[in-house]
Amino acid sequence: MKLFTSLLLFCGCACAAEWIEPPAFSSKGYRVPFPDYVPSFPHDHGAHREYGLEWWYWVGHLKTESGEKEYGFQSTVFRVAGDPNESNNSESNAFGSRQLFLAHSALSNLSTRQYLHSERVMREGWQARASMDTLGLQVAGISASIPPNGKSHTLITKYPGGGKLELELTPTKPLIRFGDRGLSRKGDGASSVSWYWTYTRLKAEGTLTQDGETEKVEGVAWMDHEISSSQLGQGLAGWDWTCMQLDDGTEVKAYRLRKDDGASDRWSAVYWIDQEGGLVQVYADQFTWEEEDDWTSPQTGLTYPTTVRITADHPQKGKQTYFLRPLIDNQEFTGNRADNAYWEGACEVIDSKNRVIGKAYLELAGYGGGLGARLN
Amino acid sequence: MYFRSRLQLVWLLLTRTTFRHWQSKLGHYLLLLGIVSVGVGAFNGIRQASRAASANFGLFNQAVSGQSDFLIESPVQRLREQDLDRLGELSTDPDWHLIPVIEGSVTAVDEATDARKQLRLIGLDLLALGNLPTLAQESLKFSDEDDANWYDWVGSESEVWVGQKLADVLNVSVGDELSFLASGHLAKMKIRMILDDPNGNLPDDLVLADIPTAQSLLSRPGGLNRVEVVIDQIDRREDSKYLSNIENRLLKYIPANLRLSPTQNRAADRASMTAAFRLNLTILSLIAILVGAYLILQALDAAVVRRRAEIATLRSLGVDGSVLFFTYLLEAFVLGLLGSVVGVGVGQLLALGAVGMLADTVNALYFATSVEALDLTMVDVVVGIVLGLLFSMLAGWLPARDANQTPPAQVLARGDWSPGFTWLRNPKYGVGLLLLGGIFLLFPPYLMKSGSNMPVGGFIAAGCWILGAALLSGHVLVILAKWFRPFCMSPVARLACSRLQDGSSRHRLAVAGLVVAVSMVTGMFQMIDSFRGTIEEWFDVRFQADLYISESGVTGAGNINGIDPALLDELLKDSNIRYADVMRVCNAKPPMGVTVLAGVDIKHWSDEARQIWLKKPGSIKLVSGAEPALVSETFARRFGVLKGGVVELETPAGLQKISPFGIFCDYGNEFGMAAVSSDVWMKWTGFTRPINASLFLHDLSRLEETRDRLRIKYPGLDIRNERELRDVALGIFEQTFQATNALSLIGLAVAFAGLLLGLFSIFDESTQTWQTLKHLGFSTPQFIWAAGLEGAGIGLAAWVAGALTGLALGWLLVFVINVQSFGWTLLWTVPLESILWFGALLTGVGLLSGIVSSGYWNFRRR
Repeated sequence: MKLFTSLLLFCGCACAAEWIEPPAFSSKGYRVPFPDYVPSFPHDHGAHREYGLEWWYWVGHLKTESGEKEYGFQSTVFRVAGDPNESNNSESNAFGSRQLFLAHSALSNLSTRQYLHSERVMREGWQARASMDTLGLQVAGISASIPPNGKSHTLITKYPGGGKLELELTPTKPLIRFGDRGLSRKGDGASSVSWYWTYTRLKAEGTLTQDGETEKVEGVAWMDHEISSSQLGQGLAGWDWTCMQLDDGTEVKAYRLRKDDGASDRWSAVYWIDQEGGLVQVYADQFTWEEEDDWTSPQTGLTYPTTVRITADHPQKGKQTYFLRPLIDNQEFTGNRADNAYWEGACEVIDSKNRVIGKAYLELAGYGGGLGARLN
Repeated sequence: MYFRSRLQLVWLLLTRTTFRHWQSKLGHYLLLLGIVSVGVGAFNGIRQASRAASANFGLFNQAVSGQSDFLIESPVQRLREQDLDRLGELSTDPDWHLIPVIEGSVTAVDEATDARKQLRLIGLDLLALGNLPTLAQESLKFSDEDDANWYDWVGSESEVWVGQKLADVLNVSVGDELSFLASGHLAKMKIRMILDDPNGNLPDDLVLADIPTAQSLLSRPGGLNRVEVVIDQIDRREDSKYLSNIENRLLKYIPANLRLSPTQNRAADRASMTAAFRLNLTILSLIAILVGAYLILQALDAAVVRRRAEIATLRSLGVDGSVLFFTYLLEAFVLGLLGSVVGVGVGQLLALGAVGMLADTVNALYFATSVEALDLTMVDVVVGIVLGLLFSMLAGWLPARDANQTPPAQVLARGDWSPGFTWLRNPKYGVGLLLLGGIFLLFPPYLMKSGSNMPVGGFIAAGCWILGAALLSGHVLVILAKWFRPFCMSPVARLACSRLQDGSSRHRLAVAGLVVAVSMVTGMFQMIDSFRGTIEEWFDVRFQADLYISESGVTGAGNINGIDPALLDELLKDSNIRYADVMRVCNAKPPMGVTVLAGVDIKHWSDEARQIWLKKPGSIKLVSGAEPALVSETFARRFGVLKGGVVELETPAGLQKISPFGIFCDYGNEFGMAAVSSDVWMKWTGFTRPINASLFLHDLSRLEETRDRLRIKYPGLDIRNERELRDVALGIFEQTFQATNALSLIGLAVAFAGLLLGLFSIFDESTQTWQTLKHLGFSTPQFIWAAGLEGAGIGLAAWVAGALTGLALGWLLVFVINVQSFGWTLLWTVPLESILWFGALLTGVGLLSGIVSSGYWNFRRR
């Protein structure tokens, strides 16, 4: 299956736009992901400390055993490397490291329309650890690990108010490597590439504890692991991103990299993943991302285009339309600073015949400004 | 209607007669108001100053990180980074933030390594601070630079942040290097940024650093002081149910060797630690108001006498006694009210002057503190006014009653006749109070939360004795006058003696007011002298080493970092050092309050080191299974092991038992100290850091050379010989009694002012007598001399009564209050020479007051 995926990837690459060779190191001195790298798992589920930026990202839709309650969840761990040119002589194990971690967790209760979220910034040490050998994360309220059997992994997320989501996530499709020659390009800058590995469909089973009560939950999840040293190219202000898990067993990932003037960067892309894990992709010139409705946050005052219509030309199936509508309006992740806020929430996917064909997570980042500077 | 008309009458009398009297004696009443205001001011000032100086949480990081809700501490108030790993489960909960803190003192020095300013270095995880809700709101930034580099300072080794106030004091700007001493090292730190502090919350001695930087600067790798817990939903701080729920969740995962407590308990703990100190000051601050009350009593009584003809006329016109009673009581009320209102302001001024002194004392004796902004609360205003009114009304009660009860016909018939207060002439009240005081001495002390004892019985006894002595002092005046009379040859002297021997109420009240101040001042000075004498004796015996090593710049209990162990090990390799007595200390947690656990060379301490032994080593039977310890007298008294026994102390290594085998006298702190062997101390605490070392040299002839050589080699260490150490210790000692001395002097000044006022009233009241004498040929100078001698007689009588009472108070302070409060026995020293000089001063001031007041009175009569 892996071989098949690689072949498809190669096909995708063949029809891609121009190739820009990435340098070995970014302008800040971090290593830059190089092409044709064949990751080895579970080792590559671990941290890649010599690269500037890395994240592990889980989203999914869950429902309780009785089906009465539905939830959306997001758990993200970011790793940000400090200045690679300065040594760190501190003897402190708990505080000495220059590696920083951020933990973002959110739970959307679709039944009660409540949204809980939490953010923590930690330095590597007593409150944040990431294994370099396997998936082994413990960052504030998020922990992830691979049990000895290795087929699934465990994700535990804590929420404000004593809540806890414990999930066992089992891939039902092979892991996907996005981009040309294994590099997902995020802009014209030579360094603006990432290794982007995804489990597009994970069977999720576990428990959710809230208000002292624990309920069994199950559903479908998505996991990204992305490594880069310059996530956004120059002149980019942010991105709109979505992962759709459709009822027919396929998935669609789409993103537009927004330029400072609001236009889509040419490296914006749509990917289709079929039932077997086969991948097809198109770039910006073959899809549109239309903002159908927006929502203004009463907390930060930021306006997000939370209802969107994505229309893309599938190389085989032709024109495909996906209308994304949020299941709750307020799924804004405010964080500790208003200009860091973003909207990330559970949505339903509706086709051109107005039928609900699946569920999605939509991420709208960089609407508060300043994101580009932090991720360039 | 009836009541209303009577009230109108009282108001009419007050405005039409009383205030006219005030107008005619404006200076007199202004002085009286001044006395009341100083009395109220002294009390309020000390109250505010001691609150500002000692009631802060001592959590200096909170100027940066904001208020915390809970504290996680070890029994010895030191943590290691390994302890954080054991907080794993707690560190992942989004409902709170854990803030590890390391703190210590450093001394900013100039190029010649001379101290510029003592600074408090606070190490925080500056990165994690960004998670705090308050910090996120206030946007306290640690970097001026572009967002892209917001975390570049993480891992910087010597960069620090300071507030604008400190930058101004040290005249530094961003990028400057600052030399400082810490833990025995001379080092440099670079100013990364001057923190924007528009509200002026950052103390002017606060230096902020990232935790690894602070650990490195303080030579405490892996060391921390505590972890603070801040709840995420700070708007629910008032929700006790929510806080209780959070506390329960925290407690579920607190490791066995650590303790969790609400932060607000710390303020209460600290308040209870300094409770005895503050109570002493409060009681002292009452001298002035107590003396003031006597003066109001005296002044209003004099007013009643002066206005007797007027009272008689009013009574004849049908004004009944109760109206007069309320009029005089209202006069006292107005005096009290005006004096108190001014007193609240005076208190604010006095607090400004006293707060620094008190903060120094708290720093030296108790814990690190900084002066909080003086805060005049509504409670302060109310307390001050109520106090002034209470004393004024109490003092006004008797004269008012006098005015009410005097029959008009009798008064009109007898001119300036004054019956005076019969209770002042009756010794049974005074004797009764003295006896009552004796009974209160039998009361056991009250055990406070901090583990300290409050000698309530002792304080009440002191109060009874002072009041009793004041009541009896009139008799002393009469007896003295009687004794002196045969020696008086001149008519002037005989006149003065005769008037004193009459012992009018005015004379008696004047003496009584002075006696209150004199006895308290004599008692306090005696206690301070005894303390000083004891400390000197203790030094002579205890400090026999040749050189003493400690961390440079550290002068009190609140600033101890200790010496870098590696540095001390290196120093001890000096060829001229024969033996080093190395001491390690930390706080330990007994069943109640806090105490000090020391690690020492126990064999040296018990066999060779000289001590003032209360119980020699070996004279107390050890309890098997417990660690042998030498304990201080204070410790032995606090924990009831004067005759041996076991005390359990919480340590990072669990609950440990110690059993004293010797008790030594120690005056270092009032919480007591238990000394175990250094090995055991290090095992129990997990620390190695020494606090000081006493060095014994091979070649004493090279003492100065060795000292100077070590000073040059180790500029961060304080290296002194015995004489130099004694000077420093006595300096701290004097500092701790600054406020006491100041309050005693304020009380005395009020008493002197009162004497002047009292004498003026006496002369005013004796108008007819003076006129008769003048007709008989008395000249003005003779009159003034007679007045001077009268004043001198009052001063002398006040001294005799006050000094005798003061001696008794001295005994009480040394043998009861100090033993019960602090658990140490002082050598009772009676500063006879000082007391004699004080007597001469009082007599002289009395003489001068007599001359001045009579001269002024004479001037006004003309």
